Amino acid sequence: MRILILSVALLLFGGTISAQSTGLEPGNKSPGIMLPNTKGDTVALSSLKGKLVLIDFWATWCSPCVAEQTELAKLYNKYKQSTFTNGKGFEIYGVSLDAKKSNWENFITKNKINWIQVSDLKFWRSPVAKTYNIQALPFNILMDGNGIIIAKNLHGIDLEKRIESFLRK
Amino acid sequence: MNISYASSIRQLKINNIRMKTKILIFLFLAITTSVFASCQFTSQGQNDPWTQQQLLAPADLAKVLNDPKAPQPLVFSIGMQAIIKGSIDIGPAMKAENLNTLKEKLNKLPKNSQIVVYCGCCPFSRCPNIRPAMELLKNMQFTNYKLLNLPQNIKVDWIDKDYPMAQ
Repeated sequence: MRILILSVALLLFGGTISAQSTGLEPGNKSPGIMLPNTKGDTVALSSLKGKLVLIDFWATWCSPCVAEQTELAKLYNKYKQSTFTNGKGFEIYGVSLDAKKSNWENFITKNKINWIQVSDLKFWRSPVAKTYNIQALPFNILMDGNGIIIAKNLHGIDLEKRIESFLRK
Repeated sequence: MNISYASSIRQLKINNIRMKTKILIFLFLAITTSVFASCQFTSQGQNDPWTQQQLLAPADLAKVLNDPKAPQPLVFSIGMQAIIKGSIDIGPAMKAENLNTLKEKLNKLPKNSQIVVYCGCCPFSRCPNIRPAMELLKNMQFTNYKLLNLPQNIKVDWIDKDYPMAQ
């Protein structure tokens, strides 16, 4: 009976499970990213070593990503100076999959986004989309001060709770 | 002995019914979940300006693009970037200026031209570009146009499959 149920479950959900499993699981090192900001200066993800970092993959053409930026601003302002058990300070490393610089730059200026923003402006062809096996936007990775992935694709209250769970009390 | 045998048979029947009920409940839950999950990337909603027959499978377009002897359709990118080999970059069709550009190009074509449009930014349910473009083609009374079926996005449904891309 159990074997039968297990077989049916594997048959039905196997595809879903395999489509979502990647090497980007918690406990693994987050792959390096080196991309330019709006001024053209390269900002390496590794330069944030020592901080709790949220890598936010987004784009101005992605409506849920745009909606999420307000939430991210609240998190950033609330936690940027905090000390965590696995990092000192909180930083967001925004990686845009935009294709046009003007769209990306205007959005950042208009919404006064004050955390790191980088992009190669290659839309879905960006090599980071492949490296991070991004299937849909928004997508994010939370990593600790050593660059180790501690959470994947958490949003809203789940993301905040996870960040808070690392606060040093 | 007979009573015990009959009792065993009854117990077996009860177990059998329980097992069947469990399987049915499980199958119902599994199928409901599966259908719900697939609805996230549904290719056609009730009010969408295209029919199921107007959806072109990416594999079919890739096959045509890879065959120099096959009649090539006119492929318009009505999204963020012309990623597909040989496609014409119109820009996001949600913007009036881009939709006008598409209209001008279409005005020069016979109504029975083989046309394919695609965006691929996001799932069909959220894409702001495919509906204005498909409505335009419909209103201009074209007879042989298709929407490239990229229900999730162009990365998952085209790039990851190594289909032909623009250089």
